[in-house]
Order: sequence, then C-alpha cells, then structure tokens
Amino acid sequence: MEPGKGGPAGNPGKPEAGKRDPPHGVLAQLEVLEARDRREAVEQEEREQREERAALLESRARELRLRRDELREKLERLEKGGLGKAGMPPDPAHPNPRAVLEWRIRSLKALLQVFHLTGISGKLSKRGLCLTLSTSYEGSHLDSFHLELLLRPEVRIQRHSIPAFIPLEQLSRRFLATDLRRFLALLSQHLEGYSSRRFQADQLQERFSDWIQGTPQRNSLCNLLKFSYSLSRNSRTFPLRARLLYQDPLRSLPTEVTVSCSPDAPAALAATASEHSELFRRAALHRAFQTFAGTHGNP
Amino acid sequence: MDNNVYQVYEDEIQALEEEIKLLTEKYEDIQQESTFFSEEEILKSIKSFQRETQGESKGHESPSDLKAQLESLETDLSFLMKLTGFQFTSHSKKTVEKTRDRTVQKHRLSGNCHSLSFQLEFQLLEVQSKEKVSSVISDLNIVMESGEDSGMSEFVSSVEERGNLATFFRSLSAYAEWVEHRRRTFLHFKAKYPEVVTLPEGLQGDYIILRNPKVSGFELMIVWKIHLDEEGTTTPVLDLLTKVPEQVLEQKMTRVESVPARFRSMVLLLGIEAALENLIKVLE
Repeated sequence: MEPGKGGPAGNPGKPEAGKRDPPHGVLAQLEVLEARDRREAVEQEEREQREERAALLESRARELRLRRDELREKLERLEKGGLGKAGMPPDPAHPNPRAVLEWRIRSLKALLQVFHLTGISGKLSKRGLCLTLSTSYEGSHLDSFHLELLLRPEVRIQRHSIPAFIPLEQLSRRFLATDLRRFLALLSQHLEGYSSRRFQADQLQERFSDWIQGTPQRNSLCNLLKFSYSLSRNSRTFPLRARLLYQDPLRSLPTEVTVSCSPDAPAALAATASEHSELFRRAALHRAFQTFAGTHGNP
Repeated sequence: MDNNVYQVYEDEIQALEEEIKLLTEKYEDIQQESTFFSEEEILKSIKSFQRETQGESKGHESPSDLKAQLESLETDLSFLMKLTGFQFTSHSKKTVEKTRDRTVQKHRLSGNCHSLSFQLEFQLLEVQSKEKVSSVISDLNIVMESGEDSGMSEFVSSVEERGNLATFFRSLSAYAEWVEHRRRTFLHFKAKYPEVVTLPEGLQGDYIILRNPKVSGFELMIVWKIHLDEEGTTTPVLDLLTKVPEQVLEQKMTRVESVPARFRSMVLLLGIEAALENLIKVLE
C-alpha cells in the first residue's frame, strides 16, 4: 500500500468513509457502544458543572445573607444608642488618626455638595476650573450647566454646555478676564431666568393642556409665548389669546402681556381678558392658570 | 429549566448585594453625622499620620493618598469660597431616610457673605429615577441679622415660603457686595476729606454728612440705602438732604432747593463716587 493514500481502511478498492454499510459485526457494535459512552460522559460532565454552579451560587447567597444579617444587627445596635461621646468605637479621647482624617474628608465632600445648592459649584483641575451652574425653581432643581475654564495664561472658556441663545460670548468678552465672580453671577442669572421660564411653559403644557389650544408657541429662549385658551376644560373654542413677552432675560415674569379676544365678544369676556393680562404679569404662568383653572394637577 | 434556578439565585444575590450596600451606607452615615472632631484633633491626626510608614495597604488607602485627598478638597473649598464670597463656618447634616431611590437629609449651615452672617436649616429630598436624580428643598428656615430698613426680612420670608435657597444665596451675594461697596466708599471719602466728612453711624451706617468747616450749621446729608425686593433684586437708592441755616437760605434760596434733584442726576450721570467727590469739592 502506498503511504498517504486512502482512508483508515487503506484499501483503494473499498467505498469512502461516510458511505458505510449498515453496522453489523462486533466492530460496529463496539462503535455504537463507544458513541453512547461518550455521550453519557459529556452529559454527566454537564450535569456536574450545573450542580457545581448551583452550589456556588447557593453558597454565595448564604454568605451574603449572613453578612446582611450581621449588618442589620450592627445598625440596630448603633441606632439604639450604642454610641459613645464621639460615636466611634473605643477611646474617644485618642481617636484613630486615620478615622479622623476619613471623617474630615467626608465632611469636606458634604460641604462641597452644599455648594451645588448655592447655584455655583466647581472643582479645580490641573489646567483650570470645572464649574457647574445649577438652576432651580422654588427649591426644585431644574438643570445643571457646565463650564470648563482654563486659568493660565489668562482665563478663557475651554468647553461648555451653555445653550446657544444665552449670550455667553458677550458676557465673557466683558467680564471673564477681569471679574470672574461677576461673569459667573450674570451667567447664572441668565440661565436661571431661562430655566424658570421654560419650566413655567412646560408646566402650562403638561397640566393645563385641556384648557389650551394645541401647544403654546414659544421660542428657544422661552421669552416669547403665545397661546389660545378657554375658560372651561375640554372646550371646542378658545376665545382668549395670550401673548407674553419677557424682555428682561434675567427675569421669570413677563414685561409685556396682551390677552385679547375677538371684538364682538361679550363684555364679560373682555373684562376677564384684561384681568388676565394683569394676572399673567404678576404671577408665574402655571400659578396664574391655577387660580382660574381650578385644582387640576398637583398644587 | 435550569436557567430558572440560576435566575432565582442570581436575583437573590443581587437583592442582597444592594441591601448590604444600603445598610453599609446607613451605618457610615450615622457614624459620620454623629461625630465631630475639632480643628486641633484634625491637625494632630495629620501630624501623626505623617509619621506612619508608607505601604499600609489592607485594602485601605495609603496615608499619602488620604493626605492628598484632604488637601485637594480643602483647596477646592477654599477656592469656591473665595470665588463665590460665601464663607461657610459650620455645616452638619442628618440622614433621616434612606432607601434605594430616596434620600432625605436635614441640613444646618452657617456662614457669612462679606459682613453679613446667616444661619439656615432645610430639608433636602433626593429621588433617583431612571434617567436622573431630582432634588427638592423644603422646610427652609433662615436667620439673618436684619438691620436697617432694607427689605431683608420680607425677602427672607418670601424665600423661606418658596424654598428658594439658590435665590437666597444669589441675592445675598449681590446685596452684600453693595453693602461692602458702600462701606469702602464711605471709608475712602472719610480718609480723603477728614474735615468735611463725618460718619455719625460709622462705616456700617447708611448715611454720611458733609459740612463746610468754615460755614457752621450748613450740612449735606447723603443717605445711601440698599434695598432688597421680594424677588431678590438689589437696588441702591441715594438721596440728599440739606440742612441750611437761616441766613444762608435767604441769600441762596434757589440754589439750595434744587441741590437734591441735581445730586440725583449727578449720581445717574457720573456714578456715586464722582457725584460725592463733586459735592465735596463744592463745599470746600
């Protein structure tokens, strides 16, 4: 027989592998048994792996349960007044220096968090300063905006998330190099004014959609607002038309309000229109709506 | 089918891990919030830490890491205080409620902005939803030395009612800067023209008296009030009052009567300092 020719049978005359004759004879039977053994071994292995994995998970769960129970007890003891004068384990007279420093670090971090509530917060970085300007409406946080400043060789803006309709460039040209505090105060006021106006318009759309025709028209700075509304819910007509102009970008109340109705409208409606003109000038939009649209939605 | 078994275990494991995290945080919060170390103790600890050898791992940060962290935080804080003008002198908080998505804390904060000191307390609620964390301030209580008729107490009441902490800080900063500006201006003129200028109520007062040392009884009183409205806008209001003795009045009546109005225009045109300077020059 020549080397490298033919299959395991080695005989060129025999048919190729895969086209065997049906099994018969001892060899064939042995093959079947071997195959079955192999299958069973694989299944056995898989079963063992599954059991092992389940056992691992179970023991992990048990471990965690123990730890959780320990912590619960520890916490209960602490809450029931297991504290000495300083609240730390042994020897309040000579506190562990590491514990003191870790305490101090957490206190300082907490104080830095408080700065966020003032509206201006930040962190020094290698090259400059990362600032976060927060806006809020009556205690509820609205949006945060970011500003990255380079401080050397002179103060300038590297990156920011200030919307395009806020006059950032103007403000930075005038104040950034000479009076950073004033720059930030003014920028912050612009952002606050914008966020506050947007919030009022959003509230109007969300809570009083049954009283307004479609959605109010507004510009991106949210200082021009137009909408038609009615004095009753789910009405099919909207006899009153309001136009609010907020000329001062720092303020959240409009400088000019026009509420109009058609010239042949009844006198009572015209009177209401002029009342509402005053109302929208003096009160936040969603609050103003609440006074005549009842207690629809959250107070 | 087997995946179900795994899922049950995995769910339980995840729930336990979350609960452990929460319990640990609660424990640390209570420890943190019921402890206080004085500046002395802190400095002592820093010194004794410096003596410790490096390489104390055990899963803790090395002494130099801790020190570096501490310094970086102190630098950031000191910078922020300088930048915003707010010096916080003490702060304490107490975590009143903490669950997976909700934290309620009570805060107490005192500090000052230039010469104005304040003490406040409030409640902070933070709710974690899918995309973001929302935070709401309530129960705001502010104590400020009111002094003078500036509208401060009305402003503070309005802010407390609405929970407008950020507005409080922003307006306080602007207001305090005006107060400081007034104080510096008074100081400047007192130093420059000591015979002409007197400050009966000192630098913290809101008026200044100008008199010509040669003409007795003739006085100009400039009142500089700084008004704070309910929305937090600061407005300086200047006025001039004249005290003129009889004989001078008879001689120069028309000129004296128009002085207050002319002073107001001067202030609008030239600014406060220039207007005051001119007035003093006239007297000399």
